[in-house]
Order: sequence, then C-alpha cells, then structure tokens
Amino acid sequence: MPEKPRIGVYVCHCGLNIAGVVDVKKVAQDAKSLPGVVMSKDYRYLCSVPGQDLIKKDIKEHKLNRVVVAACTPNMHEATFRKVLEESGVNPYLLEIANIREHCSWVHRNEPQKATRKSTELTTMAVARARSLEPLVVKEVDALKSVLVIGGGITGINAAIDLAEMGFQVYLVERNESVGGRMSQLDKTFPTLDCSTCVLGPKMVEVYRHPNIKILSYSEVVGLEGYVGNFKVQVLKKPRYVIEENCTGCGECSTVCPIEVPNYWNMNMGVRKCISLPFEHAVPLIYRIDMDNCIKCYKCVEACGARQAILFDQEPETVELNVGAIVVAIGFDPYDPTKDEQYGYGVYPNVITGLEMERLLSAAGPTGGVINRPSDLKEPKRVAFVQCVGSRNLKRNPYCSRVCCMYSIKHARQLKEKHPEMEVAVYYMDIRAFGKGYEEFYEQAGREYKVQFIRGRVSEITEDTKTHNLIVHAEDTFLGRPMELEYDMVVLAIGLEPHSTTDKIQEILKIARSPDKFLQEAHPKLRPVDTLAAGIYIAGACQGPKDIPDSVAQAKAAASSVATLLHKGKIRIESIIASVIEDACTGCGKCLKACPFQAISLDQTRNVATIVEAKCNGCGSCAATCPVGAMQLRHYKDDQILAMIENAVP
Amino acid sequence: MAGLRYAFFLGCTIPYRVTSYEVSARKVAAKLGIELVEMQGFNCCGLPIDPISHDAMLVLAARNICLAEQQNLNITTLCTGCAITLRKVNRMLKENEELRETVNKHLKEVGMQFKGTIEVMHFAHVLAEDYGIEKIKQHVKKPLAQLQVSEHAGCHFLRPIEYAGFDDPEDPTVLKELIEATGAKYLDYMDKTNCCGFTVIAIDDKISLQLTGSKLSNMQDVGAQAVVTVCPSCFLMFDVQQPRIERAFGRTFSMPVVHYTQLLGLAMGMSAHELELDTHRVAATNLLGKIG
Amino acid sequence: MGAEAAAEVETKETIRSSRLDRNFPKEVMKHHGGEKLLLCYLCGSCAGGCPVGRLTTDYNPRQIVRMASLGLKDEVLKSNSLWFCTACFTCTDRCPQGLEVASIIRVIRNLAAERGIVPQVFKELGSNILETGLAYKIPELRLKKREEQKLPPLPLSDTKAVDKLLEATGFPKMIKEHPKKEA
Repeated sequence: MPEKPRIGVYVCHCGLNIAGVVDVKKVAQDAKSLPGVVMSKDYRYLCSVPGQDLIKKDIKEHKLNRVVVAACTPNMHEATFRKVLEESGVNPYLLEIANIREHCSWVHRNEPQKATRKSTELTTMAVARARSLEPLVVKEVDALKSVLVIGGGITGINAAIDLAEMGFQVYLVERNESVGGRMSQLDKTFPTLDCSTCVLGPKMVEVYRHPNIKILSYSEVVGLEGYVGNFKVQVLKKPRYVIEENCTGCGECSTVCPIEVPNYWNMNMGVRKCISLPFEHAVPLIYRIDMDNCIKCYKCVEACGARQAILFDQEPETVELNVGAIVVAIGFDPYDPTKDEQYGYGVYPNVITGLEMERLLSAAGPTGGVINRPSDLKEPKRVAFVQCVGSRNLKRNPYCSRVCCMYSIKHARQLKEKHPEMEVAVYYMDIRAFGKGYEEFYEQAGREYKVQFIRGRVSEITEDTKTHNLIVHAEDTFLGRPMELEYDMVVLAIGLEPHSTTDKIQEILKIARSPDKFLQEAHPKLRPVDTLAAGIYIAGACQGPKDIPDSVAQAKAAASSVATLLHKGKIRIESIIASVIEDACTGCGKCLKACPFQAISLDQTRNVATIVEAKCNGCGSCAATCPVGAMQLRHYKDDQILAMIENAVP
Repeated sequence: MAGLRYAFFLGCTIPYRVTSYEVSARKVAAKLGIELVEMQGFNCCGLPIDPISHDAMLVLAARNICLAEQQNLNITTLCTGCAITLRKVNRMLKENEELRETVNKHLKEVGMQFKGTIEVMHFAHVLAEDYGIEKIKQHVKKPLAQLQVSEHAGCHFLRPIEYAGFDDPEDPTVLKELIEATGAKYLDYMDKTNCCGFTVIAIDDKISLQLTGSKLSNMQDVGAQAVVTVCPSCFLMFDVQQPRIERAFGRTFSMPVVHYTQLLGLAMGMSAHELELDTHRVAATNLLGKIG
Repeated sequence: MGAEAAAEVETKETIRSSRLDRNFPKEVMKHHGGEKLLLCYLCGSCAGGCPVGRLTTDYNPRQIVRMASLGLKDEVLKSNSLWFCTACFTCTDRCPQGLEVASIIRVIRNLAAERGIVPQVFKELGSNILETGLAYKIPELRLKKREEQKLPPLPLSDTKAVDKLLEATGFPKMIKEHPKKEA
C-alpha cells in the first residue's frame, strides 16, 4: 500500500552559480505550500558534507520519505543524494532532482525574475513527480573476474600485468603479430634517452609469461554481446599460416625464403621476408607468412622439417571470450602529411616524417642506426625539423599532439650527439615541454648540443631538383624576416590521430568519441579512464595524444578501476529498467524490435514480453513503442511523467 | 561540344593594351564552336579599386553578373583577375543573404537585381572542363612537338582555393594538360606558382620586376622556349616589361610570351600573323622557327 | 618640439597604452573578410610564403595583422608597406587558423582610404571608371583599330548606371577630396 508522501524540498545556492541569478529563498518558500511537502529549505552547498548531513538529519527528525533537490544537473550529484537517502534508510529512488542550474540559472543569467519563476515551476514539477515515485529494488548480478584488454602496446601491457597481479584472468588481444605497439618502434625515449626496447622488452616478456594473461596475437575483436560483468566477446584469430604451438621461432624458414616484402614496422622503409617476424624480439615469437605475396615454393616447409609448423591452408578462427570488463588501449596512428602538398612529402624524397626518422636512428632499423638521406643514401649535413604538421591547424587537426615538440628535440639531440658538426634546426610555433624533466631536456638541447631553434611555422618546402636539397620557407618571427634556408633533409613532426581501427571498435563496443575524434572519457577531469558504457574503460593514446608516462598512468588507472568494479564478484545493476504489465501485454512483439540492447524476449507460452533485466539499459524505447501501454519504464512511468506535465503549467 | 555559349567579359586591360589575346581567343573559340556573346554595357570588374572600397568593387562586379543573368548565360573571361573577382562575388552573393540584400539595395537604383543564376569561369577553365581536353586534341592539326614551354598560371588562376578551386594551387595541372594537348612539351620550373607582381607595379616597380624576373630566370634555367600566360596583366609583366627586367637583372632572356589561345591557335593550324603574335614586344621569331 | 616630430619620436619608442586603440580590431572584424583577425596566433606561415616579403624587409603580412590586432591604428593605417601586397592569396591558402590574410590587408587599406590615404594610381584608375566605366581610358585610335583587327566594336559602358552605383557606396569622394587629417 502506497504510503503518504512526506516530501522534503532543498533548494541549493550552489554558491553564486544559482543564487546569483535565482532567488533561492523564494523558491524554497513557494515550495512549502505544495501538496505533500512537509518542509522546504535553501542551503549554500547541498552536496557538501554539512549539506548532506542536513538532509539526513531532516529525514530522521521529520520522517521524510521523499526528497526533492533543486540544484545542479542530476549528472553531477544524483548519485550523491541517492546515497544520502540510502544511508538514511530511504529507498534511493525516492529522490527527484530539479535542474535549476544548467537548465535555469546558467542560461538565463540576464533575467533573474523569470529565472526565479522558472525555478519554482521546475521545483513544482519535481515535487509532483516525487509524489508518485515508487521505491525500486536494488539488484546485484554475478560478475566474472576476467578482463579483456584490447591493444598490446605499452598501455595494454601495463593494464594487463596490473590486473593479472591482482588475480584477474586477462585476455590481451593484439591485432599485430607482436605486442609492443608504437613504443617498440622507438629508439630512445625522452627525456631520459632510455633505450625503448630495454624498458619495453622485459614488460613484453612479463606479459607473455604471466600465468593469468593469455595473449591472442594477430587477432581482432569482431563482436560484443552482454553487459557489464558478463560480456561475451568474439575475437577473430587471423591466420598466420604457421601453427603457433609448433613454431619454435628458430628462423630457418626465413633464411631460405626468396621473397621480400615491405616491413610496416620499419614504416615501409625496410623489407622483411615473406615468412618472418616483424622484428627480432617479437613476442610471441611466432612467424607469419604474408600470403598475398607467397609463391608457395615450399622452401620454408622444407627448412621447418620435423617441426611441421607451416600450414598453407590455415583458416581464420573465431573464439569467444567471457569477461567482466574491457579495457580499450588501441593507441594512435601517425598523421599522414601527403595531403599537405606545400611540404612535399611523398614527392621530395628527402622529406620524411618523425616516425621514419625514429626508425632511421634505431639500431634495429632499416639502416642499422646510420642516418642516410633517401635520395642518395649520403649522410645529411643540414637537417631541419618542422613542427605542428597536421596539428594546431583548423584546416586539419585543431588540437595539439602533445609529444611532437619533445620527440623532435630528442631527434635533434640524438643527431647532434652522433654528428656534432651537423647543422640541426627546429622550426616551431611554441615548444611544449610540459613533463617532468622536459624543460631541462629542451634547454640542454639548445645550450649544450647547440640545436638551433627558429620560431616560425613553416609555410612551404621547395626542392632543388638537381641536388634534392630542400629549401624551408618560414619567417623567423622573432627577427621579423622571412627566411629560405637550405637543408639536406627535412623531418616533419607529424601529429597523432586516433588509430584506424577506432571506428570499428567504437561500433562494436558502442562507446563515444570526443569532438577531436579520440575516444571519449566519461568526465574530462574526474573520470579520465571510464567511458559512459558500464564496464568499458579506455586508456592511453586512444583517449588522446600522450607520452609514455601518461599512458602508463592511465593503464594503471584503468586496471584499478576495473578491479574496483569486479573485485567483489558482484555488480550492482541499474534499477531503472523496463517492466511489463503482463495483463495488458498483447504479445505483439513491437518492443522487441525497438530494443537496441536485445534485452526483450517473447515468452511463447504465455504470449507476453519478458525483460532480461541485466541487459536493460533503461532507454525507454520499448515503453514509447508499446501501443497499449503495457511496457513501462520504472521510475519513468506514465503517471509519473504525466504528473510533471500537469504541474508544468501553473 | 557544340552549343557552348558564354557571355564574354572583356575587362579593361585587354581592349586597352592586349588585343592580341582577344583576337586569338575569338578565332580559336570560333573554330572550336564556342560562341562568345558580347556583354553590352559592361563595366570594370572592380578589382583595381577593391583596395580602396570593397563595396565599390562589389557593386561593379555584381552589375556585370546581372548583365549576364539577363542574357541567361554563364560568364567567361580571358583575364584571371576578372575571373576570380566575378567568381568570388558571385559565390559570396549566392551564399551570404545579408550581403546579397545590401548589394541588391544598391542595384535596385539602376533597375537590377542579383539572382544567383549563373556561373563564372575563366576561358582556360571552360576549355579544360566544359569543352574537354580530348576534344581540343581533335582540333590540333599541327602538334607543336618541337616546342618546350612553361606556363605562368598566375595567382588569380589558382588562389584562393576556396573560390578558384578548379586546380590545386600547390601542384597545378590544368594548364599543363592544356599545353600538352597542343603537342608541346611542358617544362616544370622552380617556384612556378609564384606571383608576377603586376598589382603593385605602380607602388614599387622594383618588386614587380624582381618577381617576374625570378620567374623568367627559373624558366630559362630549365630551357623553356616560351612562357604561356592566361592573363593580360601577367602578360604585360612578362612581355612588355621584359627589356626593363633584363636591364635590372643584367641578363638576357629573349623569352617570347604567348597567350594560351595563341599557342592553341598555332597548333590548330592558324598563322602567327592572324594570331597577332607579331605584335608582342619580345619577338617570337625563334619560337616560330621551331614550328616551321 | 612640434606635434609631427613628437609623433615621429613616439613611433620609435616603446609602445604605450596611449598609442593603442582597443576598438580598432573590432572595426576591422566588422568588415567582410576581416572577421577572423583575432584568431591569428602569429605562427608566421603567411610571412614565410609571401612573395613580396622575401624581396623586401619593408613588407611583412604577419606584422600588419599584429599591428591591427594590437590596436596600433595610426601606425598601420599610415604605413607605406600596407600597399605592397599583390593580393596573390598565398597567405590565405596557408593560414592554419583560416584567416583570410589578404582580405584583412584589403580591409585595412579600405579603412585607410576612408581617412583619405589613397595612393595616386588608385585615384587614376578610380576616376577612369567614373568617367568611362573602365579602369583605363581607351584611346580613340585603339577603338578604331578594332575594325581593322576584325574585332566587334567595344561595347560601351553604361556610365550613368556605374556612376549611380559608385555614388551609393561613397566611392567618388574617396578619390577626389582631400579630407581633413584624422584626429
């Protein structure tokens, strides 16, 4: 039997955010006379501890059974106040929030009187709804203590290890043949100039050896079903044409293979055999055949011999994984400067990108660490770095890619270390040396290594067609004069873009993108590794351009968040879900078609719709579609909404 | 393509000093079957006074567009300055309602209204796109195979990309294709998309002479036998000013300057005389020797 | 010392608040083509590619934009270098912030012209247009020669209409009068 509503109304000042426009005392006063309201107050900061305590005290003293808070958007503090109710022994769903900040004081700053009246109206509507709210059951479901990590770069690796150490079963899916990601393509890392492989290598081995981690390499996520705590993921294992269990990584097949193909790991500047590893220290150490170019000469089969690891007709395999949570760490792609024709990339042979320079500097790279320029393989005596290519450009990517200043300074310093007489210049707009040790690194590059810094964004690069030398056209803005200096090689500091698989991952996981097209975090300040999809987390460069320390920090943050979610083995699910009035249901099935989460099924014997509660996201599409009103969304039932509408017009 | 008709916008510079361009263009157009209809009562496109009053330029340009709208014909012109001005104003007035209303208020005083019904294209653009390179090739009777030339497209042919837009300003190809269609060899050269400086010749002629001179040097360095232009003002810089440039640079160029329509005309079998090649300041005798 | 000499000394000194007109950038931004003036972040892409800039230190498009956005009204309106731009639009194409740099310079030229600063050549071109509808006065001989060249007679301009339109925009007085010195 429904109890008589005893509503407490609280109008928040929110400092001056609301009180600066709305007469909060009047709103509180006006609410006193509404039916069902037992008391009505205003307070400075309701979300604060004393504010929450005030509500708790009132609930106890005045036996309130419903609370209306007129304050900021429910997105901010609905959860906060629900907890207040819960801790006071009131069902948390007997709370109604009137948004008189984002929907009122913030948008009607210049009309305080009208804003006050609107706040009163919104509060009246909220009170009307509060009268008809019903308590909802708080349910828990079992959660699997296993995690899927998508992406085996430095971010994915760190997240996987931390989770595995905490006892979770981790599946690490990596689309390339080896884990390691972009960091494996780096020679040295700023600002310490640590050798990248020396830092990354042990981690790669650790992730491979850990008993709680299963690596699915050369595999991609292709489908997702289920809900938080109980995801079913389909993973496609692409064929290597080599049997994983049989391959010992000896490399004899590669030695005899007659075909060479471009090696993407060396930015296509070097080659690899048709059957080969992408790089020597690949993890897992399993060879792969590039079947598009394989001539089936069988030399590799012969060399493999008794191991019998090669299988030309290997089929792709789909596996299904059951996990409780997902961490997306798919990383970034470098910006392609071909479309910036004024720089001549792809036309002038001696214009290369930062990532290509990284491979040239690398001892494991296509030139063994020797700096040769593409046109004549001679050592360049004058090298220019061009910053902000593809970044900070309203016609390309408006954002700053964060790491390019540092990686160019690193390259410049490395060149000067190897060749002190080389002329090295960095053309920049601003130098962003924000991290620990970064400013000192930048300063040292200029002071000690005599790297020249020229402030001016490069307008265009032209080429002397005979020598293939390049002329960099830029204004030295500090001098105020345009310059056209000649260089033997130019390196474009290209920015970072979301990885090409982001579209697909977004579609499969149903997560959001930010305006800059990177994956979107749930809150830019307070929830940097969560998404708005329950159980799905993002970390690393897929969330936005960042360096290795920040990527690792996010990896650890994501692991911690997952642990917080899953460690009890049970998850509380959303109580605001659909429910069927079975007597009214005609079994027409329209709601099934409307549901985007496949959470409804038709009970054939009784001819009524039934809801899979854990899958229901409470979107309300079914309730809106039902032609007879048999489907209701709990907490948003027709009478509850109608009560608001009826009270909207005074 | 039979049936191509355009309102022919002459502009001010051509009838004043560069009638060879007009003569060759009319002859070529006639042979190709492109009809050029006179625009009675036309006025200056407005570009020369844009630096003084943008509004004045807008009304002058708009009036010309209205004349063509009344004739129900797209405009074509031989001058890149006129082309970019009329094209830009045409698009601005089509897209910006507020601007259109302001300009139409003035136009009403002279009994006109901008309706936004026509397009503006430079004649080279018409040849390349509306007419078609393949069709042009069919009219080439005497391919200029012995000739190697470079082009000066000019700033207003290529930029700004938002309004010109039919060629890539960083790596243009339209004029290259048009030149190759005549059978001549096309030579690329350094800084080919640079400005000739005509618009500031009365402010500081040293700058203009230097700009054009650099281009002539670069063209000469690659062995170009002639410069092909598509604008009468650029033509004046390269041809009429060439002796002055030679003196300033201390270098002999003797580089004949040819309007594209003259180049095409020669390839179509017309004589140098009927194309008025002999009226240019820099003698084209060497050039003509090569075509025989 | 006299007012002019004092002004001359001031331009060579440190910029003080008194020399800045905070409303000037807003004035520029109100005109078509000048809307994005304050988006400039001084990268120098325009100056780096400017064909005139590479020939003379007297001209730098970035500096002109900077003077305007700071509010150095007098200095920029009276500067000689303002008239060196050839309107080649390379700067506009290259600007990563989408500024129509060449148009901003044109706006500042327009504002200078409103204050009576009009180089001689524009006065001549302008009066030709007012008189004949075309920017050049074409000699009779030329017009007659068209017959010989088998060219159709030059369609004469409707000068009445042209004058009426130009009058409406205030153009004639810009090139004819010598307005009083701007305060």
